Amino acid sequence: MSSTLMKCLSLANTLRTATLRSLLTSQQKPTLAPWGAVVPALASHVQAVSGIHTSAASLGLMEFFDDPKVWSENEVKVGRAWKPDELRIKSNKELHQLWYILLKERNMLLTMEHECNDKMEVFPNPERIDKVKISMENLETVVRERNKAYHLLETGETGERPQRLVHNCFGLRYMYKSCEHVLPPFMNIKWIKSRNVGFGGRAVRKFLLQYREKLYNEKRKAKNRSRNEVMMILRRNPDFDLEVLRRQFPQVNIDKLRNEDKARGHYVPKIGV
Amino acid sequence: MRITQFLGSKLKNFSNLPKEYIERSKKQVYWKTPREVNYLPRTVERRRFRYTTNRPWTGQFRQQNMPGTMRKKVFVEPVEEWSFFRGDRIEVLVGKDKGKQGIVTQAIPERNWVIVEGLNWHYRRVGAEKDFPGIIIKSEAPLHVTTDVRLVDPSDLQGTEFEWRYTEEGEKVRVSMRSGRIIPIPETNNQTHDYKTPKAYIERDKDTPAAIVGEITFQPKLATFEMDIMEEMDIKEERTPAKSYWY
Repeated sequence: MSSTLMKCLSLANTLRTATLRSLLTSQQKPTLAPWGAVVPALASHVQAVSGIHTSAASLGLMEFFDDPKVWSENEVKVGRAWKPDELRIKSNKELHQLWYILLKERNMLLTMEHECNDKMEVFPNPERIDKVKISMENLETVVRERNKAYHLLETGETGERPQRLVHNCFGLRYMYKSCEHVLPPFMNIKWIKSRNVGFGGRAVRKFLLQYREKLYNEKRKAKNRSRNEVMMILRRNPDFDLEVLRRQFPQVNIDKLRNEDKARGHYVPKIGV
Repeated sequence: MRITQFLGSKLKNFSNLPKEYIERSKKQVYWKTPREVNYLPRTVERRRFRYTTNRPWTGQFRQQNMPGTMRKKVFVEPVEEWSFFRGDRIEVLVGKDKGKQGIVTQAIPERNWVIVEGLNWHYRRVGAEKDFPGIIIKSEAPLHVTTDVRLVDPSDLQGTEFEWRYTEEGEKVRVSMRSGRIIPIPETNNQTHDYKTPKAYIERDKDTPAAIVGEITFQPKLATFEMDIMEEMDIKEERTPAKSYWY
């Protein structure tokens, strides 16, 4: 067995024991829960728990299912999702714990949804899935912000995966996400060959011409649509506030449209008033 | 503060459902390319929905917007600032209840509608079958906010025009044009399906208590998230990674 593999294995071993140890040392009630409470008032009874804490005692595979008490219920009320500002004041450790709490909750909800569909039951409050998803997205943004701050301070770069705009063989631009390589770029012949794709030729020029025409048509149609919309609004409400329309449709020349035939309503204009 | 007030509507979402859920539940995807490298990400889905008094996450809404059906477009004139809230006392200007006052129970900004309690109603027969005549129920028809209703001045309980103005504290309020009195936004506007007031919300088993949500445990440290977690869990990384290149 190679030495790197051995090292990997030993690392995995230590990792596992570390997590296991932490699991064994503390069998306490979790402080964080999947749902943020709705109000920032209401002091509650839960005492702060020190030390590494874990989720509730293992229930085996039944952790994939909701509490049997709520199985027959039509509504399972919960609070709202965690907001980014609430997550920003939490320590890394707590965010780490919360991530797994949310992950377990999501697994549970998706299992319950599947099971309910399977058994032709109504899955109560399906918006819980979205709430967990929002929380997880917010959590990831917060972690990313922290890492970015560290990297910017230490290296002057964001530490994110580098991306740049490049052209493909059809002359369309796309985001090229950089990869990690063992060889430096000048030695990596295979990569140079794969990257060295110019675009040109009659067929590509024709394609690009038509592609741009398509994009232009979409833009033109959108403009026409908003023009029509304004005319229809003016036709239905001749006394509509033009300032509001100007703010809503900055692209449309409203003074010109007012004299259009289509913008005139089905009424006899007042003459000599 | 002004910017946030300017951007967000004061009309609270009664259902208290996240926006993502509402979008997801009304979605009708007809065709979608597989998300693989050899396909362009293309989706054919319903763009135009007919909004009615049925809310987008309900089955009735889906029934009124059955996949594959098209309904005539409804022109909804843009309303820049939504000004009619749940719990507002308003005067009806049209119909058989013209001149009567009532309380707004529901606001439907997708159609510029409000529903007023006990006004502008009609009888509706539901559940009629061959040998059963059905049940007659009273149902309120929606009213247009731009033409059919106006707010009631709280000082003299008469219908009035109003204007949005700023107070000296920078708060945006509705002001009656006749008496100059502020027409406050009713507390009922903050009620949701889940609670009457945020303070009255009962915390459930899986909710994090508010005190713990507000607790500050973050300590600034010169470490990435991963470094901090590794330190916390006693994971020592002694190997030096081989030189690599990002390009």
